Amino acid sequence: MFSQFRAGKPVPKPMTYLKCLECGTINSRPFKDGDYVFKIVEEKCPKCGSNKMKIIGIYVKEPQKKQAQSRIVSRRA
Amino acid sequence: MGLFGDVAGMLSFLQFAPQQDLISIVTSLIWIVFMMIFLLYPTFSQRLQLGYILRDLERRLNRLKAMRDEVRARTLETLKKYAEKGVDVGRELDNLLLSFMIEPESMDPYGVVYKLEHIARSWEDTFEEHVKAICSKADRERAKTLTNLVDVARGMDYLYRVVRHYYLLGKKTSNVYIVLQVQMLIPQLMEIAEAYRQASYAFMHGQPIGDGVGVLAAAKLVENMEKKTYEIAKDTIVHETSFEGRKLFVLRAAGPGGAVGRPADGLLKILESEGDRVKAIIMIDAGLKLEGEETGKVVEGIGAAIGGLGVEKFKIEEASKKRNIPLYAFVIYQSIGEAITPMKESIAKAADEVVERVKKLITSKVEEGFSVIVAGIGNTVGIGVT
Repeated sequence: MFSQFRAGKPVPKPMTYLKCLECGTINSRPFKDGDYVFKIVEEKCPKCGSNKMKIIGIYVKEPQKKQAQSRIVSRRA
Repeated sequence: MGLFGDVAGMLSFLQFAPQQDLISIVTSLIWIVFMMIFLLYPTFSQRLQLGYILRDLERRLNRLKAMRDEVRARTLETLKKYAEKGVDVGRELDNLLLSFMIEPESMDPYGVVYKLEHIARSWEDTFEEHVKAICSKADRERAKTLTNLVDVARGMDYLYRVVRHYYLLGKKTSNVYIVLQVQMLIPQLMEIAEAYRQASYAFMHGQPIGDGVGVLAAAKLVENMEKKTYEIAKDTIVHETSFEGRKLFVLRAAGPGGAVGRPADGLLKILESEGDRVKAIIMIDAGLKLEGEETGKVVEGIGAAIGGLGVEKFKIEEASKKRNIPLYAFVIYQSIGEAITPMKESIAKAADEVVERVKKLITSKVEEGFSVIVAGIGNTVGIGVT
């Protein structure tokens, strides 16, 4: 519907990070409507098979920072 | 020279001079015309510049319009999902987009903060009630997020209308200085417009935004602690717990719907009930970074870390000064765009660092047996209660 405009940059898509309440395994999947941080969801853990997981984070994964940076930008930055 | 010399000269003139002369005459004429234009029409250069700037502004204004239309269409589409049949959502949305708040008169500044608070709260409540009336099928949390979404669309619409106003005004009056000012500001305005565009996606889906990092840190601070949680002010909750012998009050807006709450009201209520036992107020908020600074960097300072109109900040400063309680602030750096778009990894990770630093500050500044208030400031969209 909105493709006709092509007005701006692509919108970043966040990932949902889940922690298994049984074994503590952390895994991620693309964000789904209804997700929020600290929500307990009934999803199967890929490691132990338990179906109770907690959303511990929803954020956009950033690309690894390049080693060589401009001299103007601080080295710690 | 003699006759021969004259004839030879004449011949060479006939062969080559006409071409050279024609070019030089035409060039000279062009220069004369230009000089006359500049002499007789001194603002010609400005006219040229005005034309160039107006063309550039028109191109950007068209882009801005496309972004405004996109955000409006997305908002409309989302509101329609939660509206009853028969409601003219488009018309209601347009009414909301044009709604406004008139700031109080400050000729006599006495009491202006409380007048501003009254007007701002009345406007916020009316705006929220209007959205709820349109989206009667939405639950409480969703209605709050939808209010934020409409607010984003309103901001985008206002930005477009202001730029269009100065473009048309400059064009109508042929005033190069008006359009020049807009041209100087337009790169930053386009950046803000892009942030609004991305923010509309975040609010449409209920995703956490960069501004929510203060709330996220506050929630993580009490995540695995035994606590008593209750609503202390509108859209504001407090977790009452203890940490290494200190009584801890963690204040934040209620989530996961988009809200910023009323932290000052909550803080004042805690201060009233706790009295002199409160030995520190710690505030956590997103802070605007300077260009070249690292996103997600945690910095520590003194003062009330809270944005907005200034009402909440004023009340917190006043209360802390009255009781002589130090105000400590933790700020997580981000740009204005990052604050209203989906939360970045570096910002989310900064919340864990803040938690550790807050714990360290509490143990070093507050003696056992006393109380401390930690306020996580920001929008709670996509962040639930622990």
